Amino acid sequence: MRDPRRAGALAAALLAAVAAAGCGSTPGASNNTTSSTSTGTTSASTVQTTGFSKLGNITLKVWSADNQDPGPEPVIKELTNEFMAKYPNVKVVLTFKGFTDYIKVVKLALASGSGPDVAEGNQGYQIDGSMVKAGLILPLTPYVKAYGWDKWYSPSTFQQFQWTNDGKTFGQGTVWGVAQFGQSTGIFANTAKLKSMGLSTTPPTSFAAFEQLLAKVRAKLPASQPVINLGNKDGYEVVHLWGMIDGNYASAQEARNWIFHKAGATFATPGNIQALTTLKQWAAANYFGQNYNALGENDAAAQFGKGTGVFYMGGNWQAAVIQAGLKNNVEFYNMPPGKSGKEAAIGATSLPWHISAKTKYPDVAAAYINFLINSPNAASQMYKQSQIPSVETAPAAQGDQYLTSIAQGWQRLVKDDGLELFPDWSSPSMFDTMGAAFQKLLVGQSTPQQVAATMQADWVKYDKTLH
Amino acid sequence: VSQTVTSPSETQGVREPASGRPARKPRGRAPGEPRNVAWFYVLPGLGFYVLFTLAPLAHTVYLSFFNWDGITVGTYNGLANYRNILGDPNVRDAFKHSLELVLFYSIGAVAIGLFLTAIMTRFRVRGMTFFRTVLFLPQTVAVVVVAQAFVWIYAPSGPLNTILSDIGLGSLTRDWLGDFTWALPSLGVAGTWITFGLCMVLFLAGAQKIPMSLYEAARVDGAGAFREFFSVTLPGLRNEIAVALTLTTITALRSFDLIYNTTMGGPGGTTRVPSVLIYLNAFQYGQVGVAAAVAVLLTIIIFAVAFAITRIGDTGPG
Repeated sequence: MRDPRRAGALAAALLAAVAAAGCGSTPGASNNTTSSTSTGTTSASTVQTTGFSKLGNITLKVWSADNQDPGPEPVIKELTNEFMAKYPNVKVVLTFKGFTDYIKVVKLALASGSGPDVAEGNQGYQIDGSMVKAGLILPLTPYVKAYGWDKWYSPSTFQQFQWTNDGKTFGQGTVWGVAQFGQSTGIFANTAKLKSMGLSTTPPTSFAAFEQLLAKVRAKLPASQPVINLGNKDGYEVVHLWGMIDGNYASAQEARNWIFHKAGATFATPGNIQALTTLKQWAAANYFGQNYNALGENDAAAQFGKGTGVFYMGGNWQAAVIQAGLKNNVEFYNMPPGKSGKEAAIGATSLPWHISAKTKYPDVAAAYINFLINSPNAASQMYKQSQIPSVETAPAAQGDQYLTSIAQGWQRLVKDDGLELFPDWSSPSMFDTMGAAFQKLLVGQSTPQQVAATMQADWVKYDKTLH
Repeated sequence: VSQTVTSPSETQGVREPASGRPARKPRGRAPGEPRNVAWFYVLPGLGFYVLFTLAPLAHTVYLSFFNWDGITVGTYNGLANYRNILGDPNVRDAFKHSLELVLFYSIGAVAIGLFLTAIMTRFRVRGMTFFRTVLFLPQTVAVVVVAQAFVWIYAPSGPLNTILSDIGLGSLTRDWLGDFTWALPSLGVAGTWITFGLCMVLFLAGAQKIPMSLYEAARVDGAGAFREFFSVTLPGLRNEIAVALTLTTITALRSFDLIYNTTMGGPGGTTRVPSVLIYLNAFQYGQVGVAAAVAVLLTIIIFAVAFAITRIGDTGPG
């Protein structure tokens, strides 16, 4: 084609077509639903907690990221079947996805209009905060009153479900979700190994005593074997361990204030720095072995169940897999308290259940959530799968000493106001920032002060977008 | 069966040109110049290209000027995303890691490809076809599978460490993918393994075009294997090397699947590359505009590098 005018015209037409296809309106304008349209469509007086049979045959779509089996998935499935038996006209369609895939699609699914009626979120700014901000989920205020959900949790436990209506302030304001399981971190000890080394299996009563126990084990164990079996492939795993150490130096309230972006909060507190220093010393003393960066959390727990390491310090959600390996040779206890005499550790409820702003049946959705968490059989179904009920009014576990100690671990943290929540909730990028910073600390590439400064810089960067 | 069936439209299509329509007097078209009807032939391809390549590209550029979380209404913020990423040490590090991967994916793979070509052209290798096929295989395996294989090879108690201990090099064993110094080079080696087969096949094909007379002349003049390689084979492969460098460099710069399936950027961010940053910003941090800006920057760099390499390939004799 040698005619330059024609070439130019064609190129211009092509560019225009591309521009038209590529640009269009402001991103996100088409699926804008403001929370004001959804807020207040239901009030306490109109809430229906029963008598759904008038609705005829309806379908409730439910999405969950709790897909561990054994674990939460069979609990949710069983209770869902019981719910459908109670309300035969309601058909519940369950969809389970792995957590990392789930959090990438749940917001888009709720925004699409053909998404779930009931869905789990995740506490923190990345998921729950942005769902509130985008008006994707309903405020639960009328249901809290109708079902008495405020009696389930202590006020400080409740904070993780609370957001102001603009989704910018975390830890206060309207309640947007409630959750099933209590998930806290603690110490699993291989009692057979302790006995073979001539050490007591009675849980230490202070943080200092626990540190002495670690040193004794290190001295008796061959250098090639870790004292604490750590898997830190993603960097967040050791943060759970750090949280237990931090409980010795700082209050859980301090940790929560930072996560909730309270004015003037900082990660670079003397307590946090001391805890980071202790953690670094543990790494330098070869408590974790050499291969923790290659090992993921689940693999480390499974390995501990098969006999690697004397301790595993992490989430109570690993209880089943550990017991499957060690049988009766395992015990669980919370990190013993420091000078404050109060226990504190990283922990929170499981993922909060939300009601979609686009559902046609918010009352049925609320009844379903209520049923999952607090129906007569809920607690026993959870214990059957080594899960701990989050609600404080739940019956105790019967018979099993291991399970009882795990349930009591959660309850004692709640009673001591000791749930530190999860630091990665504090900004959408904190999970990666924190993981990389802690990995550097363990290999000696950064100091406790640098770790705190890196995390605080991420916090400040996000904090600016909230005001 | 399909050979015997002739559809009516096909037969018609064959007959039409033969029917000897009188040549239309074209206006304003020199003899031999393609007719405008050619546009109809390229239209389907062009349509798909615009729809699935150019339009998303334009949309990405457009999004890079917004502060957008992917759900709520975005706000226009001009060049702020670009200013932020250019000033962000994490982004600069990611591009540096990418360049280090180019050394492995591209330079390393081309060097190995040339070495194998030199051997295979100089010496008669028994079962040549077999070796060629085996050496090309890595190119055909899905990267997810390659990634899993290397995770296993590099594992603390995996084959690499086992072999090292067995031959008395136990002091060298380490957690390769969890090591701050060695994680990126370890991934690079996996990258070399993926791309060198392609380079070798390109070079072997190219070497067959080099006239035997040149090799004979070189041997008459008493050239050894080295001299022959550098004087005959290497100059003859100039264009193939340019193609190989372009393809492998692009593969290196946009590599994502290998890293996503092995280290996900860890440990401590030492294997974070631009494509991982794009992914994290778009899907985890709710920073679609920033992700788009990094993507645009990466596209520009890939274009520039590919352009520079083809220029080198085009100049000079041959």
